[in-house]
Amino acid sequence: MQFRDQIDFVRQHVKKNRMRIFTTILATTMGCAFLIVLASIAFGLQGTLKDEVLSSDSLTRIEVYDGGDQPLDIEKIAKLDNISSISESYAMQLDNIQNKATIGANTGYAESSFVNFDALKKAKLPLSKGHYPTTEDGIVVGYNFAQNLLSKEDEKTLEKAKEGEKPKVGIQESVLGKKVQLKWTGKKGTKPVIREFTIEGIGPKPKREWEMNTYLQMSNEAKQSIVTDLKKNFGKAFNEKEMIYKSTAVYATDLEAVPALNEELKAMEYSTYTVSQQLEEMNMFFIALKAGLIFVGTIAILIASIGIFNTMTMAVTERTREIGVMKAIGASPKLIQRLFVMESAYIGIIGTAIAVVASYIISFTANWLIPKILYAATEEQSFNSSAIKFSAIPWELVVIASVISIGVAIVSGWRPARKATKIDVIQALRQD
Amino acid sequence: MITLTNIQHTFLIGKKGQEKKVPVLKNVDLQVDAGDIVAIVGKSGSGKSTLLNAIAGFLKTDSGSIKLNGIDTTDLSEAEHAKFRLKNVGFIFQNFQLMPGLTAFENVELPLKIQGMGKSARFQVVRQIMDRVGLNEVIDHYPNELSGGQQQRVCIARALVTKPSIILADEPTGSLDSETELEILDLIKSLNESMDITFVVITHDEEVANSAHKKYRMHDGELKEATTSAV
Repeated sequence: MQFRDQIDFVRQHVKKNRMRIFTTILATTMGCAFLIVLASIAFGLQGTLKDEVLSSDSLTRIEVYDGGDQPLDIEKIAKLDNISSISESYAMQLDNIQNKATIGANTGYAESSFVNFDALKKAKLPLSKGHYPTTEDGIVVGYNFAQNLLSKEDEKTLEKAKEGEKPKVGIQESVLGKKVQLKWTGKKGTKPVIREFTIEGIGPKPKREWEMNTYLQMSNEAKQSIVTDLKKNFGKAFNEKEMIYKSTAVYATDLEAVPALNEELKAMEYSTYTVSQQLEEMNMFFIALKAGLIFVGTIAILIASIGIFNTMTMAVTERTREIGVMKAIGASPKLIQRLFVMESAYIGIIGTAIAVVASYIISFTANWLIPKILYAATEEQSFNSSAIKFSAIPWELVVIASVISIGVAIVSGWRPARKATKIDVIQALRQD
Repeated sequence: MITLTNIQHTFLIGKKGQEKKVPVLKNVDLQVDAGDIVAIVGKSGSGKSTLLNAIAGFLKTDSGSIKLNGIDTTDLSEAEHAKFRLKNVGFIFQNFQLMPGLTAFENVELPLKIQGMGKSARFQVVRQIMDRVGLNEVIDHYPNELSGGQQQRVCIARALVTKPSIILADEPTGSLDSETELEILDLIKSLNESMDITFVVITHDEEVANSAHKKYRMHDGELKEATTSAV
């Protein structure tokens, strides 16, 4: 029998028992959609967390810490292969000393640090505007740095603003090339430390809408004179060891080189941290979670398969005479079996196709609705964006669910189909 | 064409463990020549339908051999038998055995579909056969919209459509009135002459049996040749 005729044959029988087949397809759809939607939660959360990790860090960056007794030997590290640059930076965390940045009439707190611009440039870390400074007077600021500097009017506007309202404050125009005054102020009676810099570069736009990058990076060359002045003006109030944290980052030439480089650094008895390391650990957890959820979802499909088994068993019983006639006129047992297996596969395929469409609709609705509900309940700004995904359905999930669903449907129809092949022609022809 | 040699078959009847052996075919020998119409007549329970089922391969006999078209079909597997039937044997049933969900055309088309013939080739062959048995007017009718005679013609057309050399007919006129019975018998005779098809007809009706070239009588599982009628 030609394949087209086999399909026609199956469709004719499906038409004859529309209601029964419809309810069986519905059960299959529900089982398969349950599997997809359930597993999509793991896929969605993994995607969100992955984006979160990737947005906050560079993938080629390996943070290196000394291994207790083993101080960092930068020269030795620099000899390793596949390093594009090594960046030593110093973050300032000052107690009792205020660090404010001022551009014209606008002022705000500055998150200052000292970095190696040359190393960042070699690591090809992008800037949204400008370039990495080459002189001591040049700085790079975060994308939202200027919006963090408020004028007196801005402060009044913010005071007057109602809850939930977000008025535009700070400097809105580009600050590239502008002069910034940095002022460190200590207790009363101490002389402040004042420096002036030119903004030569502006960091990349944050990947998240709610993220605010307000950092200010000075060159390592500027560090020494500032630290000397801070010590001189604030005395014991400034403790360099506790207030300035050094961190060393090694940038690999590309993503593929990161694991090997990381291993080499570990072999040198240094502690390391990489984003890919974190991603790997995260992936392991999510693989286990996905497998668990797919397993639970498969149980729903197995329950639906009982329906398919019943439907197909009834179909065989009802069509005993028909099967007898087919066998009498020359249909082989293989053909009879194939026709019934195709019918259960048809139920599986239609049920799965509807389930996939339904799952996408449910997934989109959940991603649109749940953040809105959570935002209304918590007023947490991070929920009010499209960045958080509660559900994601990649094609892999569709393939896995389809294989399970259609596979289970075929297996459920297998036994009734075998039963059909064993029907005795003489007995079948005696039926009315 | 059809050669049965020493066919024996026994049914087991009764509860499990207390079955009784009932012999239904006792040393049956039969020789049917190509192009013959052979009638096997007998009372209900005489074993004539069992014999037809054995020839068709629906039943594995206890002993003996069955040769159809020179091929020993006794030990063929179910699938091999099905393949053989599809090519060589057509069936006419007492209660027509048409598919209720298919039109007359689709019913006749079914064996060709099973054979794997293409749609356009099928269309021509089916139309030709339906025309031959006088069903042109009812091709799109469903079985429940047809008279008994028309349904039997559809059944005959379905048996003929694969151009078999043998047609096995089990009480072909059993469900028909006497006028339609004559029409069907005439059709069988004309098909036998024009298409050179061998017919084995099982019947309890002496009149039907008398219209065959050869007549055999089945009695208590034994087959004996009766008087040959002049067709």
